Amino acid sequence: MIKKLNNNINFFKTLLYISAFFILLLGALSYRSVSDLTKSGELVTHTYRINVELEQILSYLKDAETGHRGFLVTKDSVFLEPYLNSRERINNNFAELKSLTSDNPTYQSNLKNLNSLINNRLETFKTTLEYENPEDYFDSVKFSNELKKGQKEMDTIRNHINNMIYLENQLLEKRKLDYQSNLVATPLLLFTLLLLTLAIMFLAYLKISKNMKKLNEANESLELFKESANQSEIVSKHGNWTWHVDGNTFNYSDNLYRLLGEQPQSFEPTLENFKQFVHPEDVEQFAHQIEQMMKNVDLPYIYYRVIHKNGTIKHLKAYGKSIVNDDNELILIGTTADITDEITSYKALEERNTELERSNKELSSFNHVASHDLQEPLRKIQTFLSRLEEEEDKLSERGVKYIDRIQNAATRMRVLIDDLLQFSRSNKADKVFEDSNINLLLEAAKQDLAEVISEENVVIKADTFPTIRVIPFQIQQLFVNIIGNAIKYKSKDRIPKISITHQIVDASEDENLNKAKKPFYHKIMFKDNGIGFDNQYAEQIFTLFSRLHNKEEYSGTGIGLSICKKITDNHKGFIKALGTPGKGATFIVYLPID
Amino acid sequence: MQEDYINIALADDDEDDRMFFTDAFEDLKIKSKVNTFNDGVYLMDYLNSEDALLPNVLFLDLNMPRKSGLECLKEIKQNPKFKDIAIAIYSTSASEEDIENTFVQGANIYIKKPSDFKTLKKVLSDVVTINWQYHTNNMNKDNFLLRF
Amino acid sequence: MTLFFKFNFNLLCQKILDEVLTDQGINYKVIAFGEIEVLEKLSKQRQQELQQALEAYHIEVVENQKSILVQKIKDTIIDMVFNEDTTVNVKSSVYLADALGHSYGYLSNLFSEVTYTSIEHFIILQKIEHAKQLIIKEDLSLTEIAFRLNYSSVAHLSTQFKNTTGITPSAFQRIIAKRREFNQNNN
Repeated sequence: MIKKLNNNINFFKTLLYISAFFILLLGALSYRSVSDLTKSGELVTHTYRINVELEQILSYLKDAETGHRGFLVTKDSVFLEPYLNSRERINNNFAELKSLTSDNPTYQSNLKNLNSLINNRLETFKTTLEYENPEDYFDSVKFSNELKKGQKEMDTIRNHINNMIYLENQLLEKRKLDYQSNLVATPLLLFTLLLLTLAIMFLAYLKISKNMKKLNEANESLELFKESANQSEIVSKHGNWTWHVDGNTFNYSDNLYRLLGEQPQSFEPTLENFKQFVHPEDVEQFAHQIEQMMKNVDLPYIYYRVIHKNGTIKHLKAYGKSIVNDDNELILIGTTADITDEITSYKALEERNTELERSNKELSSFNHVASHDLQEPLRKIQTFLSRLEEEEDKLSERGVKYIDRIQNAATRMRVLIDDLLQFSRSNKADKVFEDSNINLLLEAAKQDLAEVISEENVVIKADTFPTIRVIPFQIQQLFVNIIGNAIKYKSKDRIPKISITHQIVDASEDENLNKAKKPFYHKIMFKDNGIGFDNQYAEQIFTLFSRLHNKEEYSGTGIGLSICKKITDNHKGFIKALGTPGKGATFIVYLPID
Repeated sequence: MQEDYINIALADDDEDDRMFFTDAFEDLKIKSKVNTFNDGVYLMDYLNSEDALLPNVLFLDLNMPRKSGLECLKEIKQNPKFKDIAIAIYSTSASEEDIENTFVQGANIYIKKPSDFKTLKKVLSDVVTINWQYHTNNMNKDNFLLRF
Repeated sequence: MTLFFKFNFNLLCQKILDEVLTDQGINYKVIAFGEIEVLEKLSKQRQQELQQALEAYHIEVVENQKSILVQKIKDTIIDMVFNEDTTVNVKSSVYLADALGHSYGYLSNLFSEVTYTSIEHFIILQKIEHAKQLIIKEDLSLTEIAFRLNYSSVAHLSTQFKNTTGITPSAFQRIIAKRREFNQNNN
């Protein structure tokens, strides 16, 4: 953005230089053309003056001739005056002509010739004036010859002068032509230059106005941005500051003042003034951290408290970053946020966590009590009962029956306690996932059930499983519970058969996995040929203490399948049950693949 | 061997359990001498006394006041004088962690107190005979792990 | 005046035995009450001297024929189980009867009478003991161990292991490993 602006400025500078150059050129050309014009005028005047002088010389000579003739006729000396003056006048003209043509040697020689011709002519006048009487010279051949000679000389002078005028005119024509060609070319050039300059200026104007428009738009959005930044500072409770380290000057945004509980720009933004708000316990550390901030380019957040004038304590968090600007000045740009709310809610959360932890501890110690301390008296009751049974022969029939009943009740209580303990263990937090050989876990589960499996001649057929990352003892428990469940609810007319299959399924293609978070799952399916159940209870059987049969028919606590549910939950997996009454049940366990 | 006595000791703070225990040995054909102690402190005081008759098998309840079974186990394992004593943990609870932990710390046998007197007698008889096998047949005592 | 005494006969006899044996310069170890292991080879003459010394206390050295036979049974079983060169194709009862020249019924009764346990149980105990050693020392898989010890399957081995010891082979392996680590850390 800044670069683009710089480019623009350079472009404008170039245009300005070009225009100035053109205008300068225009001036120079105009000056030359005007001075040329003056010179050509001067030349014409010069030529005309020469011509006038020459014509004057001729006319003086003619005056002298006329006066001469008049004198000859009348012998009145009045007529002689022009002739007598002519010499002096012509000399004046000659002097003028000499100075006018001092730069032209041809002309000088021409003038010399003319001078000698005029001298000759005036000499001829003189000789004719020596005749005293008109009779003397009227008839005199000599006189007539003299006159004829004068006539001839006069013609020669006239010719000479005409020649000179002609030459001068010729020169004038030539010079005029030179200047005129200049004078025709110059205006065209000037005009072209003028047009070019105008075009450049126009171009520049267009560009500038376009840029101005852009600048205006940018300014407008900047203004908007500033406003929204202000707003966001207020909403998110943070303020900005810049610190020109070299000049030690600060800029605080309006909201930074508000964070200190002050009106915007109500005091001079300096470090000292700011420090006055910092909590006395935090001042030292604050100063130290500010120092660190200047030394390092990036720093972790710094935390401190400030006290408003009304005594409110706020927690602030600041972050600063040092940059060096184009003028090589060090500037610290920082953001300070009010995190009082965060800290308050964090503290509340912490308190709640401790409370939760405490209640969890209480719960687990309750579990311990339930499992351990309840077991102890129960075990004693059972042991004493077993010792009483040894003395059955000393008891009445009814007594034996009661002992049997007590024994049953005690056994049921034991199973309940054991199951509850198991359930609470599956809740425990310390779950360690290991890459486990599922086949071994199944084998171990079968060993746990070895007695009942051989008693009932259960046939278990299982696929080979891959290694899966699980909590081993929990998965073993899962197998024990599901297989145990299948055996417990076996059909009375047939040998219990359980088939356990494994496959990997795509979550998007399995209707049971519509809430799945992973793309692929291990699907482990336990299918038995037991009494089954009505599918309407398929969800219910996983809830704690839920049973579908009464205790007399099938013993059980209604905890086993809840434990299974808990275990699959712990593995972020799923468990589903499907049943057909009288035919069998299918339990499907899904375990996610990472 | 018929004339031999096997020396048994039990540390358990529960009176009933001590009674079941001695009764069971009385019922068994095995000739044995059973010493019971009311807690770990009494037990260790006896074992550390000079004229103590060291038991062949020592049964320790884990949960006892003053000195727990686990503390006794640790003390016994640290003293080479007691290296021939087979240690049986005799406890109400049987969490996998407890079992593994006591085995790792040197217990040889872990018994979850049975809730039936016949089972108790069977377990105690098995413990004594198997221990006897290890004792008399040069079997590696380090490998002696037994769980009921 | 009448005095009442309370004797600890065990301790008393133990003390007398100790005195006599030490007096005779015999290096020995008490295995159980009434059973000592002499840690050196005793010549016939020294055996007689010992018997004479003990007669003063009316203590007899019992060379019970039954005990000897039981020991023979045990030795045969241990050899059968641990020595893999001794291939046993017949049932162990037949093998024992042949090896010791007595009917199996006689051996079995005798064994139970003396040891309070059955021959079958003793065989299983020894086999599991061997399995334990193989698990720890040889780093063999359960399949290999089952094969070496003539079990029909791994399942059979681990079931018998669990029935005998109360723990599974892998739990056993884990505990022993942890115990070693624990002992190392404590020494």
